[in-house]
Amino acid sequence: MASEASMHFTSAQTARQQATDNQSRSILLDVRDLVRTFGGLRAVDGCSFTVARGSITGLIGPNGAGKSTAANLITGFIRADSGSILFDGRDIVSMPPHRIAQLGLTRTFQITRELEHMTVLENLLAAPHNQLGESFWLGLFAPPAVRRQEEEYLQRALQLLRDFDLYALRDEYAGNLSGGQRRLLELARVVMTQPKLLLLDEPFAGVNPVLAGRLSDYIETLCQEQGITFLIIEHNLSIVERLCNTVIVMALGRTIAEGTMAELRENQAVVDAYLGES
Amino acid sequence: MPPIIFYLLTLATFAAIYGTLVIGLNIQWGYAGILDFMYIAFVAVGGYVTSLLMMPPATPGMGETYILGLNWPFIPAIIAGGLCASLLALLVGLVSLNRLRSDYFAIVTVAAGLILWTIAGNDTPLVNGWDGISGIPQPFANALNLDINSYGFFFLGLCLVILILVYIFAERLYRSPFGRALRCVREDEMVAQGLGKNVFVLRMKAFVIGAFIAGIGGALLVTYVDAFNPSAWTSGETFFLWAALLLGGSANNRGAMLGALLVPVLFAEATRFLPTFNSSPQLVDAIRYIAIGILLLLTIRFRPQGIIAEPRFRVPRRLFHRIGTNLPVAVAANSTRPTIVAEEEKTDGK
Repeated sequence: MASEASMHFTSAQTARQQATDNQSRSILLDVRDLVRTFGGLRAVDGCSFTVARGSITGLIGPNGAGKSTAANLITGFIRADSGSILFDGRDIVSMPPHRIAQLGLTRTFQITRELEHMTVLENLLAAPHNQLGESFWLGLFAPPAVRRQEEEYLQRALQLLRDFDLYALRDEYAGNLSGGQRRLLELARVVMTQPKLLLLDEPFAGVNPVLAGRLSDYIETLCQEQGITFLIIEHNLSIVERLCNTVIVMALGRTIAEGTMAELRENQAVVDAYLGES
Repeated sequence: MPPIIFYLLTLATFAAIYGTLVIGLNIQWGYAGILDFMYIAFVAVGGYVTSLLMMPPATPGMGETYILGLNWPFIPAIIAGGLCASLLALLVGLVSLNRLRSDYFAIVTVAAGLILWTIAGNDTPLVNGWDGISGIPQPFANALNLDINSYGFFFLGLCLVILILVYIFAERLYRSPFGRALRCVREDEMVAQGLGKNVFVLRMKAFVIGAFIAGIGGALLVTYVDAFNPSAWTSGETFFLWAALLLGGSANNRGAMLGALLVPVLFAEATRFLPTFNSSPQLVDAIRYIAIGILLLLTIRFRPQGIIAEPRFRVPRRLFHRIGTNLPVAVAANSTRPTIVAEEEKTDGK
């Protein structure tokens, strides 16, 4: 770690200061005692976990464990009944979804949602937050600042399309893409927003093994090169094991365990709730 | 002027005015996906406000009663008309645009339109009730002092200038990042929110902008026909404009103008020549509404994109080349960055 190496050259006090800073900074997402009921059903019932900055964290659990509801609560699409969500040190629990996205917490959806009647390229160009040209007057008169920003987005979008091998399809309507291509487009679109934390809801569902391998390569690359933190909800445990440093297990709306996949295999509660006897 | 020329001049003027109106509806529906079934009320507000500002004060005991009557010149009056229509949109939007999903919002607009219509008809001191206002001053007529024939051409020119300005405005809006964000909201509200777009504010802006254009078009319509009463803006009129937009092509301003020419002008004119039956004088009107309904259904069923479909976005070639050559070629060469290959090369759309 670069910060550890640099500690040798600083005074002890600064080092201690830095260590506590690092500790508080190292947690990007802190979910505490989250509760959400639908009628009589406690879909999320006291769910607590943290996501470390720079990590790829998995979120697993049986169907109906409340994973997707937790995702909707974290990204503001559903209001929590109680509990707190700290993202990057800010309480986001009562924020509307677009404000949360603007802070750098962006999500993908379990069932891909694309902007069907817009081209693949437009799907990416529409993604960045707080675009100057999204104001009515600036968009209408397109001053140089807006045009420069548009060129920058265009360049970034074309680069991403090349990375995701969607370049040839850039002028195709997103509604015409195949299932796997939609997954790629959705991931490219959220990467386009340059998020701090990406919450991927079953990104590998319906994706063939070859593509899944490349997708996970790309997630690792994004994590290492761009410093994006990932929280991935996934059922494919071999991918989770390969990709995730830490895995959180949910069952019946609660977090029941946290650790590496190897640790979780030894955990009787996790085996009973989800992994099963093998 | 031969009658046929006068007739064609009238049609052309109506086509230009309806073109403006349908472009305004296009900004609401085609761009932002707002189901607005009170569009004609915005047209009426623009028409009433502009007329009432231009008219002389109502003389007590002379038959017509109305508010305002300020003898304003045309230009400030038409701008005020547009702004009042926008204000109405803002109020309706504030009440319901952030709370209701699109179809429920549509019901609110139907209700709001009917409430306004009923008030305009029954509250006689306001805009002279069901009898309506008449003798509306013609724009620039005093200053130009033209004979009636030349004035007809002048007014057509005025309508065309406004149509062209509105068209250029709408096209710029469509291509701007603002228009792109509106279309993002139209396509999928949740995705838009997930991408940090304030859906409520964006839809509100589109609603208000569309209403402003409706108000401008309404001002032209009312000053052209010279008289206005609630029978000219029944809620059925809204669906003429909807039929025009859907038939011509949603999200395409040329389609909107084509639809305006085909439905409220040519179709309405064609049905004018149907024979009337003395036994049932309402028959032709009823047939007209039925035909519009059938046209709407057929369009939505067989050609949902309209005659002219939404234009497909392409990067301007000059920009593309400039950017394209700047692209780092490292994609293939840089081994640390994995290239993802989609499992299917062909799209099923072609």
